[in-house]
Formats: sequence, C-alpha cells, structure tokens
Amino acid sequence: MLKILLPTIMLVPTIWAVPAKYLWSTTLSYSLIISLISLTWLKSSAESGWSFLSPYMATDPLSTPLLALTCWLLPLMILASQNHTAPEPISRQRTYITLLTSLQIFLIMAFSATEVIMFYIMFEATLIPTLVIITRWGNQTERLNAGTYFLFYTLAGSLPLLVALLLLQNNTGTLSLLTLQYTPSMQLSSFADKLWWAGCLLAFLVKMPLYGAHLWLPKAHVEAPIAGSMVLAAVLLKLGGYGMMRMMIMLEPLTKELSYPFIIFALWGVIMTGSICLRQTDLKSLIAYSSVSHMGLVAAGILIQTSWGFTGALILMIAHGLTSSALFCLANTNYERTHSRTMILARGLQMVLPLMTAWWFIASLANLALPPLPNLMGELMIITSLFHWSWWTIALTGGGTLITAGYSLYMFLMTQRGPLPAHIISLDPTHSREHLLMALHLLPLILLISKPELIWGWTA
Amino acid sequence: MEAMRKKAVDALPGSSWTPLEINPNLPPERADIVIVGGGVVGWSIAYWLKQKEMVRGGVRVLVVEKDPTYSQASTVLSAGGIRQQFSLPENIHLSLASADFMRNINDHLGVLNEDPIDLQFNHSGYLFLASEAVAHIMEENYSTQRYAGAKVSLLSPTQLKEKFPWLNTEGVVLASYGLENEGWFDPWTLLNAFKRKAISMGAIQCCGEVTVCTSFFPTSDDGMSACVEQVQMPNSLEYQPVECAIVVNAAGAFSGKLTEMLGIGFGPKQSIAGIPLPVEPRKRYVYVVHCPDGPGLDTPFLIDYSGVYVRREGLGGNYIAGASPEEAAEPDASNLEVDHSFFEENVWPHLAFRVPAFEKLKVTSAWAGFYDYNTFDQNAIIGTHPLINNMYFATGFSGHGLQHSPAVGRAVAELILDGSYKTLDLSGFGFNRILTQEPKLERNIV
Repeated sequence: MLKILLPTIMLVPTIWAVPAKYLWSTTLSYSLIISLISLTWLKSSAESGWSFLSPYMATDPLSTPLLALTCWLLPLMILASQNHTAPEPISRQRTYITLLTSLQIFLIMAFSATEVIMFYIMFEATLIPTLVIITRWGNQTERLNAGTYFLFYTLAGSLPLLVALLLLQNNTGTLSLLTLQYTPSMQLSSFADKLWWAGCLLAFLVKMPLYGAHLWLPKAHVEAPIAGSMVLAAVLLKLGGYGMMRMMIMLEPLTKELSYPFIIFALWGVIMTGSICLRQTDLKSLIAYSSVSHMGLVAAGILIQTSWGFTGALILMIAHGLTSSALFCLANTNYERTHSRTMILARGLQMVLPLMTAWWFIASLANLALPPLPNLMGELMIITSLFHWSWWTIALTGGGTLITAGYSLYMFLMTQRGPLPAHIISLDPTHSREHLLMALHLLPLILLISKPELIWGWTA
Repeated sequence: MEAMRKKAVDALPGSSWTPLEINPNLPPERADIVIVGGGVVGWSIAYWLKQKEMVRGGVRVLVVEKDPTYSQASTVLSAGGIRQQFSLPENIHLSLASADFMRNINDHLGVLNEDPIDLQFNHSGYLFLASEAVAHIMEENYSTQRYAGAKVSLLSPTQLKEKFPWLNTEGVVLASYGLENEGWFDPWTLLNAFKRKAISMGAIQCCGEVTVCTSFFPTSDDGMSACVEQVQMPNSLEYQPVECAIVVNAAGAFSGKLTEMLGIGFGPKQSIAGIPLPVEPRKRYVYVVHCPDGPGLDTPFLIDYSGVYVRREGLGGNYIAGASPEEAAEPDASNLEVDHSFFEENVWPHLAFRVPAFEKLKVTSAWAGFYDYNTFDQNAIIGTHPLINNMYFATGFSGHGLQHSPAVGRAVAELILDGSYKTLDLSGFGFNRILTQEPKLERNIV
C-alpha cells in the first residue's frame, strides 16, 4: 500500500524541484511508473476478502479496479493538460500538477480506507483540489457558479452522512470495513432509523449523481479544464458508487422498501438525461449528461442489492470511467483547435483529421455499449438483474439503451461527418501526444474484454 | 419582505445571481461567433445565424458595435434604394432575394407581441438614363437582368416622354425602368427589425470597439486564427478579451482597420500577407431639396448618365439628390462635414437640365455618409481570407450593402454553418479575386 502512496506523496516535492524544461516529461513518467506498479494490486491473493492489509488501508476486489483506474488516470491528466497550461508561468503549472497529485493522494486513501470515517474525510477532501481546479483554471465566468453548485450540492449531501456515521460508531463501537460484514444486523425499526438510512446514502447519491440531484454535474464538467473534467467523470463519480456499495451491507432490512423511489429516480434519469443529450449543442455538456445517464444505471444496479447488480455496477463504473474520460479528451482536442465547444461549428472533421475520427469512432461505440466491450457487459448485468427485480424496468432500461445509442451516434456524426465549414480547413494536425492520450484511454478498455475477472468484484 | 422574497428567488437554480459582481456592460468572456460591426449587414448575419442554428442556443453570437447612436454608420445615412439593375447576375439575384425577404418581412422578422414592421417601401422603381455612348451596355445589361428574373423594361425617349412628361429627354437614347421589386425604404427600420429579432432569438449585443485582434497561434505555419483580444468600452479604459471561434468582419467603412490589426497588408510586397483589404471609407453627400412644382408621386429613383441621382422623399414635395464625385475629386473622408458647393457645382446643373422643374428648388438639408468603398472593383468581398482561417468578410459593398443585406446575411450564415453557399452562390465575391487581380466590375456603377 505504502509503496504506491509514498511515491505519490513524494511526487509533490518532485514537481517543485524539477527544472522547468523537464517538468511535464518527469511528472508524466513518474506517474506512469506509479500507475504500472499499482496494477500489481489487481493480483489479489484472496478471491474475496482483503489483501495488502495495514491498520488503516487495505484493498479488496471491489476497491482494486477503482484504485487502478485512479492511478492510471494521473498520467493521462498530465498528458492532457500540457497544452492548455503552456502559456502560463511555470509556478502556476507546478501548482496545477500539484493539485492533480493531491487529488490523487486523497483518492488513493479514500478507495483503500478500511475505516469509514477515513473514507468520509478523504471523500470530502477531494472536493477542495477539484474546486480550485474548476474555479481557477476554468474558461468562463460561469465557472464560479459551477464551483458553487459543485461544492454545496456535495456538502449538503454529505453532512447527514457524517451524523449517520457518528451514530453508527456510537451504536456498533467500530466503523471498520473489515469487520462490518460480520457485525450482527441492527434493529432498524423506528422512523429515525429510516432517516439514518437516507443520511447514509444521500451523499453518495448526490455524488453519483442521482437524477434529481444532478444539476451540479453538467455545470462542473463543462466549466472545468480538461484534467478537471477527466478526473470528475472518471473517478469522482465512482466515489459515490463505491461508497454506496460499502454502506449497503449494514443498511440491510430497510433497503428493500426504502430504495424504491431512488431506483425509480435513477431509471427515469437514464431516459431523461439521455433525451437531454439529443438536444445539446455544447459537446462537453452532451458528454456530461451521458455520464449522468450511465451513473443512473449504476445507482439502480447497486440499490437492488443482487450480486449481478453489484458486479454490473462495478464493471460499468470502470468502463464508463475510461470511456467518459476519453470522450472529454476528444472534446478537448476539438476545443483547442476551434476555441468553441459548439458542435455545429466543428463539423466534418473526418475530412481534416481522419486519424482522430478513428478514436472518436471507438470512443462513441464504447459509449453506446457495443459488445464485446466491458460497457456492454456491465449494462447487461445491471439490466438483467433489474429485470429480475421487476419486469417493468425493462421498458425504462431498454428505452435508455436505445436513446444512448441515439445520442452517441448523434455526437459522432455531428462532429465527424457532414459539411466542412470554411474556417476549419486548416487546423493543426493531431499531435502524437493526443494519439498517445487516446490510446492509453482505450487500450485498457479493449484489453479488459479478454480478462474481465479483474473488474468483477467479489463474485468470482 | 420583498427583499427577502427577491433573495430567495435569486438563490434558486435558473437565476443568474452569482456571488461575484459581473459588469453587465462587458461582453461575455467567450462567444462562438463575434460579428464586428452592428450595421444592417452585421445584424442580418446575426439574425440568419440564429435562424439557422438547429437547436435553441446552438451558437453564441455576439455583435460588437462601437457607436450605438449610429452617427457615422453607413446604414442609416444611406439613401435606402433597392434595385435589380446591375450587370453582374450575382448582384441581381442578391437584390431579388432581398426584395422578396423585405416583402414578407413580418413573416421573417416579426416578434410576438411587438409592433409589426413597416419598412415604408416605396415601389417607384429605378430609372436609368443612357446616352449614345453607353446605350449598348444598357441593352446588354437589360438582357442579363431579364434572364436573371428581374422585371425591367427598356423605354425609348418617346415612351419616356409619355410616361414622365416632366423629364427632359435631350441626350437620352435609352432608358431602363424597373417595374417591380425596386424603389426605396427606410434603412433604420430594417436595421432595428433585424436587431430586435436577433436579440429575441438570443444574440448578444455589446457596445464597444475592437481595439486589439490578434492571432491564436502566432508561430504556426498554417495560418492565423483570429481572436478578439480586446473590446474596449466607450469612454473608458475598461476592456474585455473575448475568446471566439469565428470573427465576422462586417465593420463596413472601417473594415480595413480590423484586418490591419492582424497584420494583413504589412507583409512583404509580393506576398499574400502584403495585400491589404481594399476597403476604405469614401464620403458621399446627400442633399434634401424642396421643390413645390416638382415631378410628383410616380417619380422613380432617377439616375442620369452624368452620375446625378434624385428620388422623391415623402409626400410634401421633397426630394433627395446627389452625385458620385470624380475619382480625382474625392472628398476628405476623415469627417462627415457636408460641402454645399458640391451641390451647386456638380449636382444642380445636371439636375436642372434633366428635370426643368428643378431649376427652382431650395436645399433644406444635407448629410454625408460613408461608402464602404472597395477600391479594387467596387463590389462585395464575402468569404474567408487565405491566411486567416476563421475570419469571414462581409464588406466592401460600395453603396449597395443595404439593399443586399438580407441575402448577404443568409449567404454568410450558410457559409459558416453549412460550409458552403446553399441558396445563392457568391463565390465570385471571394477574397481570392483580389489576390489574382481579377476585378469583378459592374458595368454601370453609381
């Protein structure tokens, strides 16, 4: 555990000590080495249960894929940020990478936490670097509004969580995840217990986000710079899913009835946000709403508490993390060239940048859950377990799949095909850095087709 | 109580309250398309862009106009005429399309719950007079115009005398009279109609002057991408950089200044960068005269072969007259002062000769306005520049910008959003003809 955490912490002084000429290449290679070492976590010694144990941190098949995704994302974020921070003074560039690294540290500690309070503290701590990234490096005046929404939605959701955790600590005497599965289930009969149940889950539902509490997400994603969008879409949303999966064990008998409205919200959100995607003019906004759509499916999968649901949710979280981040990177390559996020002004790009079209194609196909990519495997498992839970959900999930395919193809055809406007005829050709970025996003996704056991979670 | 309620409404999602004060006069930090110049061409382009975006809020259009009183803008100082009697088919089609647009202007530019638009279109037509020397050009133009669909007729001197008894046909061999879609209208109404409709559809306007416009990638070999660096607020040191994807140069008489900011015209003499945009302001005078015994209500927009023009203004015996000065005697374009001796020497003699009733007239008023004069061939420059990827020109109309504005707006919007001309092909007006030195001249220029 420490062999990943300490090098990540030591990346911070490295950023400040390295000469300016080598800043980006050093940080990139350093974080890439960390991420490659983090892949050793995936080979867990026990099929279920905890590995790499220490008093405060441990990994298990649920947190390992998320940890690997987190560590994988840091070099990708550094690669993506190199261009747009280039005109800034060097100390500001260093600050930027420091923020990304500190976010990484908090995320590693959050996903590997054994104590729920530590998870909570790290969950809250990730807000700070993200807020700074959005409000300081975003492009528009609206970023202040976006940061406010992001901060207050998450805080308002997580304050009840703190109270709920303290109550739990009082009740059971411990909040260690290691022993949580062995504690006898509590007597949850009073109305206050129902509020406690809601308090436990609300923070994660807002973070996922659940459809009714999703307003912060399009704002935050659109206004954030590319690295901010990447980490938000790929990892921070998964914090919500991970938290829910951990908490589910102790919320036991209440969930059967109380989760009903939230499952309905989540499934309805899949349809609604998918339809909103079809009407979007802003490319980043479209990808942000598609994130809400996919996460709605994940939330529904977790709330029904079946093993297939959990597995599907985990697979979809990992696959969506890689796909969404890839799409944001593609949108950023567009933005850097035309300085506009409007889709109608950057059309027919297949004529000008044909190799980038290949990446757009693969990323769009991944987004619409094409077999045999893990996106489909995750969605399929969730949809089948939902069908088993109630036959009627197939209408919503089936419609959702259709709409997802619709807007993914819409996004691809709008940007790549169509008439080429006169002002795009001469664009910068695709840099190797951008090709590398896309390859590093989509290659793990494609490789996961052959070994999905890595991201299955507990169900072996 | 009221303040609390207002605060609560502000705090809900959907309100635009932010914790930090934002100056509402400043333009937004980024816009997709910045149209420099808020004249009729600029607002026409803004309207058509909003009309053609497929989803509401599709493109963010910002129109930057440095003078909201339009004291020096060519649009409102124009005589307001529209004619199809050109020699270039593109110009004829542009006028026909614009006339059709203006005939149905309330269908296009009507805003719900607002007053309908009355352009005060006088359908009196244009009457061009030709002497012996240029009669053959008029005949050739006539066939071009008829082929393009304009409703024009040729009149012999006897027919002229029959139709317009107040006209002195001495020296006139042939006349060309527009029967439909020709006349004059109120330019201020058209400008405001475009502006009101575009703003109702979401275009943003800003009062300021673009003082710095530089390139995104100054060291790139693939050409520049224009980006508006500074919009200076009027009478203030405040400025706002506007990040944009496309800049439309619709600055009219002052278009040359915008391209100069990007360095066009300052390169080595034989290179593309060394050729400036050949648009400069040229001052033209318009005189309002009162003649109680003058021609009457069916007076067309009369254009004599000497270059003098006159048209009826209103119903009280007033007329508007003027003339194009000789190339050598161009008035100083640094101000809009009127030279009254120009009327005495260059306009009145020819006017009185052609229309004897005008021997007794009184000049009641006069003004001067700029032509956005294309020194190369006096025709529009529409389209992109080879060196600047994202600047679209819509300038250089040299006196016929107002009458072409609806159709030009549509053409530029098609170029931007569809990638090519869809309804009218104006590729003949591209910038390339200036680089290859192939002028596209009109054969009768007013």
